[in-house]
Amino acid sequence: MNLFAATPSGNAVSQLATGVVLGALAFYWLLPRPKGRSVAIGTFAAIAAAVVLTSWVVRQFGDVAKDTVGQALFWLFSAGAIFFAAVFVAQRNPARGAIAFAFVIVSVCGLFLLLAAPFLMAATIVIYAGAIIVTFLFVLMLSHTGPMSDENDRSREPLLGSLAGFAFLGLVLFALYQSSPAAVADGGRPDQKLPARPVTAEERAELLALAKDLELASVAKDKDELQERTKDLRDRFADIVGIPPSAPDAGHHDSAAASIPDRLALARDPQTIAIARQAEELRTLVRQTLNQVENATLKANPTDVEISAAAKSLGNLREKSMLLAGRGELPARNVTAVGHALYSEYLIAVELAGTLLLVATIGAVAIANRKGVTA
Amino acid sequence: MITVWHYLAVGAALFGLGLVGFLTRRNFITMFLCAEMMLQGVVLNLLAFGKMHGDLGGQVFGLFIVTVAACEAGLALALFLTLYRRGKTLDSGAWQSIREAKLPASVDVDPLRQTREIPDPVLTPAGRRPA
Repeated sequence: MNLFAATPSGNAVSQLATGVVLGALAFYWLLPRPKGRSVAIGTFAAIAAAVVLTSWVVRQFGDVAKDTVGQALFWLFSAGAIFFAAVFVAQRNPARGAIAFAFVIVSVCGLFLLLAAPFLMAATIVIYAGAIIVTFLFVLMLSHTGPMSDENDRSREPLLGSLAGFAFLGLVLFALYQSSPAAVADGGRPDQKLPARPVTAEERAELLALAKDLELASVAKDKDELQERTKDLRDRFADIVGIPPSAPDAGHHDSAAASIPDRLALARDPQTIAIARQAEELRTLVRQTLNQVENATLKANPTDVEISAAAKSLGNLREKSMLLAGRGELPARNVTAVGHALYSEYLIAVELAGTLLLVATIGAVAIANRKGVTA
Repeated sequence: MITVWHYLAVGAALFGLGLVGFLTRRNFITMFLCAEMMLQGVVLNLLAFGKMHGDLGGQVFGLFIVTVAACEAGLALALFLTLYRRGKTLDSGAWQSIREAKLPASVDVDPLRQTREIPDPVLTPAGRRPA
């Protein structure tokens, strides 16, 4: 979006500030008040703020059209969540607000699904959209029994409140901007990116491509085919697991790209240490397997036993590469894995949460069941 | 490519909107739901970081946040019922008597008006009265 990019540099912050001020003004006009409320101006300002902030997010954090469906779903769910959140905050009628809040929850649950958390999605839908909303609609109906006054049409300090909320939003987005790749690339700032993943996406893709080639090589019939298919494997593994390349002057291999074991050498948490150890084992296995394959193929007349042994160890290497590629991704069986994590690593926390629920139930009963108050 | 920053931005927006609502609205239930919306923004952050690191800790923390939110909902509901029984209103501005000491009371510039009471629905009688 070049519409809001009038000047080439330094406009990121000013665009962010524009969006934040527009948003604060929008809610100043939208929040219910006896006098001075203007839904039309407020809606216009809210749409303008949404456009400015969305274009800011796209410009700063990137909008490369790769995963089209995932991207469409992300924009759909996040737009739904923010739209219904705005409706909920600016809605005068609390019952309608509760319905809008249910839609916020549904949209956020869609985002949970995109973030590979189906169990949490189901739990949130059941707990919020089911239990909490129904309970609150019950209370709202109960509150309509007496004489009513127009307190829902009033807001406390609409200008200061919206300014505070949007100042918070602007500061958080600015802090995110400072750590984003775009700002680090063009601002000359010190590299303060978020900590890298143990296995990056590029390394994962390369490991999967290697696994496919290894599969082809492991079914090779004769010596020449085996040699042909394995000749560049050493160089391709070199960057990932940190073995010296076959030729020392091979151009791109002496770049600064650190291999997985080098990068994780200083890691302290157990999971990362396990991944580093797995990468080191893969490094040893790559050396052994490729040496074995070379020994077999460099002979003048290798026996069939040697060829098949080399092919078999290539298949083994393929499995290990696939396993390393799978590290750093969330497990596919989400419910099983979450349950295992809950009852192994977080057992004390689960017990504490259960105790908290018990205490909260007792407290709620004790508060709500107070006798002697005229009902 | 949707990166972790996109999800963090959405989480921050939900938190900010919830903050606006919590600071400005006067209905207890609306204020409470705004606080819940802020919690949803935080859960979104945790899940995004958990996905980035390939770690289930984010989802487990999210689950605990949902648990604590459920406790909070039960307690808040009981408190609202008690306050409603005493004051016959869900307006937080009606409870100036329990404000912090030495702070001036915040009063409406123009006082609240009584609005029309919503009449109960009337069902048309049908059939015959049994003898």
